[in-house]
Amino acid sequence: MKKIFLISSLIVATFIVGCSDNGDRNPHNIYMPDMAYSRAYETYAYRDSAVFTQNENERGQKIFYNNYPVVGTVARGEEMPFPFAKDKAGDTINYVASKTVKSPIDTMTAAHLLESERLYLINCGICHGKNLDGNGPLYKGGEGPYAAKPATLVGDSKIEALPEGQMFYSVAYGKGQMGSYASQLTRRQRWEIIAFIKHKQKEAKASAAPAVETAKK
Amino acid sequence: MKFHQRLTKSIITSILFVLFVLFSNNILAEDGKALFMKNCASCHAIDKEITGPALRDVESRWMGKRNNLHTWIKNTGSYLKNSGDKYALDLYDRYKAKGAMNVFEGVLDDKQIDLILDYIKTAPLPGAGGGKDSNPIDNKESDNSLLFGILTLILAVIAFTLMQVNSNLKKLSDDKEGIPAAEPIAFWKNRTYIAFGIIILIIIGGYLTAKGAIGLGRNKGYVPSQPIFYSHKVHAGVNQVNCLYCHGGAQDGKHANIPSVNVCMNCHLTINEYKGKEKLYTEEGNEVDGTSQIKKLYEYANYTPGQKEPWDATKAKSIPWTKIHNLPDHVYFNHSQHVVAGKQQCQTCHGEITKMDEVKQFADLSMGWCINCHRETKVQFKENGYYSIYQKYHDELKNGKMDSTKGVTVEKIGGTECQKCHY
Repeated sequence: MKKIFLISSLIVATFIVGCSDNGDRNPHNIYMPDMAYSRAYETYAYRDSAVFTQNENERGQKIFYNNYPVVGTVARGEEMPFPFAKDKAGDTINYVASKTVKSPIDTMTAAHLLESERLYLINCGICHGKNLDGNGPLYKGGEGPYAAKPATLVGDSKIEALPEGQMFYSVAYGKGQMGSYASQLTRRQRWEIIAFIKHKQKEAKASAAPAVETAKK
Repeated sequence: MKFHQRLTKSIITSILFVLFVLFSNNILAEDGKALFMKNCASCHAIDKEITGPALRDVESRWMGKRNNLHTWIKNTGSYLKNSGDKYALDLYDRYKAKGAMNVFEGVLDDKQIDLILDYIKTAPLPGAGGGKDSNPIDNKESDNSLLFGILTLILAVIAFTLMQVNSNLKKLSDDKEGIPAAEPIAFWKNRTYIAFGIIILIIIGGYLTAKGAIGLGRNKGYVPSQPIFYSHKVHAGVNQVNCLYCHGGAQDGKHANIPSVNVCMNCHLTINEYKGKEKLYTEEGNEVDGTSQIKKLYEYANYTPGQKEPWDATKAKSIPWTKIHNLPDHVYFNHSQHVVAGKQQCQTCHGEITKMDEVKQFADLSMGWCINCHRETKVQFKENGYYSIYQKYHDELKNGKMDSTKGVTVEKIGGTECQKCHY
């Protein structure tokens, strides 16, 4: 009896020691995998392709689930959809037409400015620079890895003359080398960032004008 | 009085005149490079095709006809209509899917275009320096380690010889003094040795068993190989891309989210080679070629650099990244709760991501680790609307009942209650 206890405890011990570490390239061992890995409808949760499908045509044979919101719905607090679709390759019809679209944001409170500046620094500043001078860490005056010069948002009369609607078009669908930010920013956030840029452009002009006046005096 | 006014007036006008001359000189001195950067560089690079073609040797491609090039740059549309130039037509066809070139009529005059063309002619070739410098340093490092190895070996041999000499000398002196050498008992029969061995075995075995049992289901140090060698060191460290640029979900919801291919392509549509000074190494220490990894991305994205059409995101396949940090299904964890309301840095739980080539699980994500942090971390009560409902604590902090240096820990607002994470 004693011997069996001794031997079995030794076996359990060696098993535990043995399975605790099986290299850092593979996940370590777990007990009860059902409890560790989620089977719920969750981001990154494993979904058996024999049961689930992302193909709308297979609806009915399998469970159709593709993580997208229902077509035509608008989330709470979100702005209405942009009325123009993306241009076909080489076209600029919708881009030009989008200058008629007005921003839904009238006034920016201080809190809004702070939040939109935060969003700008995360998503735009990397190329367009934290001072909106088109010289972010990825470009660095041509030294950085990014070959195309990002637009100078403050101080370039061509960019400053852009209507809000066209700016929104560029952020939502991309322009030139810039990609679409529709997956990273909600419509509300896109409008807020555009309002922030417009605010900065005005601010720069306002501070430049008195400087000239004082120089004249 | 009048004389005074006149004097000041003339002084002011002369100052203004001097300023004007200086300023206009500045405009004249504005060199081709600055003009190129301001007007062309968004779509053209000298040695790389981006939205428009690469511009090196543009004049020889246009047979040195600067006049034609001038009209072309000013308005590509009207030049095509009026000249019927075959080369220009082909060029337009090749790039029209990416959009026509902006009109520069009235933006650039002939002089400025000449300056730009001169700059393109004289622009320095890329390369030269950079990568070459780091090689000798590497060699030096490996030389050093070899030297240390040899030194250690020599020292070990010396120590061993000295030990031998010492025991021989002792034996000699014992013989001289007439002390007889004791007959040695075989060590496997010596009871003291056996008992000692068993105790050591139990201690080591017990330690390993306990450690193994605790480690079950924990993944600290887990560093899977990913389908693409993506270096956080280069992206988040060297190039300062914000964590939330790719993992924006961390501010909105439960998951931090792994970015989709279109987020990669925001930058990699333009950046198609790795030329950074930092070398890339796998966890095993093998060097990785960054450019080959960007090519792998293009395979997933279904994109060929320099292709005629703009990249079509709908034709991309998603990259099967391996998830590293996994919490058991019976634990609820929300990123936005920690990042937005709690104002925690990503690095607190994920380690120094900006220095990792391959991401390695930094924390063991055990319950003890969570609870420990909840006990010690102070909640940022000030200027944080999320915690405004804890009126009692706010009052106590104000009237000094609660030590403001210790503050309110997460535990005090229920951060160690079972049902906060398990339900």
